[in-house]
Amino acid sequence: MFGRIALALASLCLAAGLASAQTKPVLTVYTYSSFAGKYGPGKTVKERFEAVCNCELAWVTAEDAGSLLGRLRLEGSDTKADAVVGLDMNLAAEAKALNLFAPHGVNTEGLTLPVAWSDDTFIPYDWGYLAFVYDSSKLANPPKSLKELVEHPNGPRIVLQDPRTSAPGLGFLLWMEKIYGDGADKAWADLRPRIVTFTKGWSEAYGLFLKGEADMVMSYTTSPAYHVTVEKKNQYKAAAFDEGHYLHIELAGMTKTAKNPELARKFMEFVLSDAFQSAMPEGNWMMPAKASAASLPEAFKDAIQPSRTLLFTPDEVRENRRAFVDRWLNATAR
Amino acid sequence: MTLRPPHPGSLVALAILALVAGGFFALLRAGGSGSGIFSIGPYLVQVLIFSLVQATLSTILSLGLGTALALALARRRFPGRDTLLAFLGTTMVIPTIVAVFAVLTVYGRNGWAARLLADSGAGPIGIFGYPGILIAHVFLNAPFVARVALDALDTVPAEQWRLASALGFTPRQIFRHLDWPALRTVLPGLASLVFLLCFKSFAVVLALGGGPGRATLEVAIYEALKVDLDFARAASLSLVQVAICLAVASLLQKPLAYRPAAATVRGAPVRSDARDRRLKAFDSAVLILGFGFIGPLALSVLTGLGHLGAVMDADLFQALATSLAIASAAAALACCLALLLGAAARHRRFVLGSPRGASLFELIPNLLLAVPPFALTAGLFAIVRPLADPALAGAVLLPLINGLGSLPFVYRSVAPRLMLAEERYGRLSASLGLAGASRLRIVDWPLLRQPLGAAFALAMALSFGDFGIIALFGGPELRTLPYLLYERLGAYRFDEASAIGLIVVLVAFLLARLSGRLPYARD
Repeated sequence: MFGRIALALASLCLAAGLASAQTKPVLTVYTYSSFAGKYGPGKTVKERFEAVCNCELAWVTAEDAGSLLGRLRLEGSDTKADAVVGLDMNLAAEAKALNLFAPHGVNTEGLTLPVAWSDDTFIPYDWGYLAFVYDSSKLANPPKSLKELVEHPNGPRIVLQDPRTSAPGLGFLLWMEKIYGDGADKAWADLRPRIVTFTKGWSEAYGLFLKGEADMVMSYTTSPAYHVTVEKKNQYKAAAFDEGHYLHIELAGMTKTAKNPELARKFMEFVLSDAFQSAMPEGNWMMPAKASAASLPEAFKDAIQPSRTLLFTPDEVRENRRAFVDRWLNATAR
Repeated sequence: MTLRPPHPGSLVALAILALVAGGFFALLRAGGSGSGIFSIGPYLVQVLIFSLVQATLSTILSLGLGTALALALARRRFPGRDTLLAFLGTTMVIPTIVAVFAVLTVYGRNGWAARLLADSGAGPIGIFGYPGILIAHVFLNAPFVARVALDALDTVPAEQWRLASALGFTPRQIFRHLDWPALRTVLPGLASLVFLLCFKSFAVVLALGGGPGRATLEVAIYEALKVDLDFARAASLSLVQVAICLAVASLLQKPLAYRPAAATVRGAPVRSDARDRRLKAFDSAVLILGFGFIGPLALSVLTGLGHLGAVMDADLFQALATSLAIASAAAALACCLALLLGAAARHRRFVLGSPRGASLFELIPNLLLAVPPFALTAGLFAIVRPLADPALAGAVLLPLINGLGSLPFVYRSVAPRLMLAEERYGRLSASLGLAGASRLRIVDWPLLRQPLGAAFALAMALSFGDFGIIALFGGPELRTLPYLLYERLGAYRFDEASAIGLIVVLVAFLLARLSGRLPYARD
């Protein structure tokens, strides 16, 4: 008797469970932690996508873009990720080589990126230029160019990120390579006395800068917008450099193993929609990849507009990163 | 000779070794472009030399200050001493980023010390490089050394104190015959512990080192894992690190010190040397110096105070609950493993008469310290991954890896007491036929209770402050306090992050205070 009731209950529960699972498919999206965090755009993106997809969006997070890629590689083809948001250009070739990503099939015309986009695996969802951020109430005359910063022996003290552990750190290394090429060794040696330290990640470096340990910190042209919008502080500025600025582009992609490829594709379309894009500026403090100038928040319109865009292709980064890092090590390790 | 079932501690030891080896093989199998470890070339040599030098200096300074503090605290009674003791157990678990910012708040360009120096007319101090690294390492480790050394000093039996006072021992004789033998039981273990921690210290060295010349092997491992995705290289670099760490740790532990103790009665000791005038001056100087160094750094954690209100929300309480749950599971695991390992080591040393065999068991906690947590986590993750979904894998692996991570600390406080119990009562309990659970209850428990409680709290605090491993598993469903801290940092909210850092430290302090209030062992 009891056995039968238990069985009936169990099958009822099972049926109910299946039914609920059938009505709401789950889209699993991997991202980095600050994207899905309290102040990140993750919550807004989830709500807005769920409003149109009749599904549930589940964020799974890793520390940063690098960990994201490491996790995908560990999981291989049995990854639970249907889509990934948060890789960047410098990791794109490595990510492609994992052979996990499917063509996104999204029309990428009309992007507001400083460069043309034709990749069929990844969609850019936001971007920013790397830039040195400084406190204009303390540093009245910031350098006007990278060369001025590097070659002026009495220039400002700066804090950088280690290119081996950090995305902006690697970005600045590439910037130096773009400007100095074979002369990068000497440039690093010239700059070395004014580098306060190389930190593990962006957070440590920015913290050091806010504590006053350095006059300038490697960050993004969009960083001052945070201070203006949230803290109502106007003294933080990004220094515009004559030679141009290195570009940082963040990417999204869908996996070959997505359980529901249609849903994943729908999400890829959604990434370039207004609903997603309008969450980027004040959620991720980056420029949206597709936005009308009118929809951009006021503080972002003040961001400096570099005269030239510096960028290595993902394949160039993949081929040369080791050599660049070794050169940097030899020039700065003492 | 009949075949007897192996000691449960031996099984635990085997299981741990299998787990670590399994992690390495999984990493090697996950592979990579297969570049050899020597392709790093001279840089690797430079990194190794720097790591060895800074770890040696950090160890000497931490042990020196810690031991001096312990002796001063053993001789002196003053108001607030209990709070101080609780505080000593706390610094070690401060999240590294909080510790780094603390060092800068005090010794940085705009820090207190810099302002004091500027007022007195001296030039600015350069904190980046050796000074910063050593200050941070001593700040994190010396208080812990003091706490454990003080515990050891407390084990000297009251008879010996009475005898010493009857014989009119001079302070020098007291140190030589009573304090030193007690310290000698814990100092080699502490030395290897601190050395290993500093050898692979990573975020502190990067942030305060100033340049890539001051990096540890852990950076190369991290780079291989995260940027090159060359897991095979990460695994082989990890092997290099483990080999070096184990070699150094076994060198430090060579004089496997334990002192024969015959006495059986213990009470609050009356230290005759507390009256010595020169020692009084010396102790005061040590205490002022020690807390003049540690105090401001600890106080700077309070910068988060003003922002506590901003972070009090449902997320925070959920993260706190998650952190506590993971931390207690990890601490329980660490205590069980430490007891079993310690029992096995004791069995080897006293029953089988093989100190060499015993020291093999004692190497296992050091092995766990030497293994880079990222590499081990990645390896275990690769094993568990096909069997469980990410959230479940995290829920299982987090307490496991955190438990293994704090085992060395728990072992350090539990094992000496197990040995002590055997020395004091081993023959007696053998002659009485005491064995198994009743022996544990009557003989071991009274001596173990207090250090085990303290170790449990410490293990909890350690796992509570851990970020390295949560970085791999964390997510909306598994969010701990350190995870929240980094999330806020990533969103420019440095003030809120400092408030969360303060909460982490406060909880650690409460745990340490709790452990200090556990009833002291009376024989």
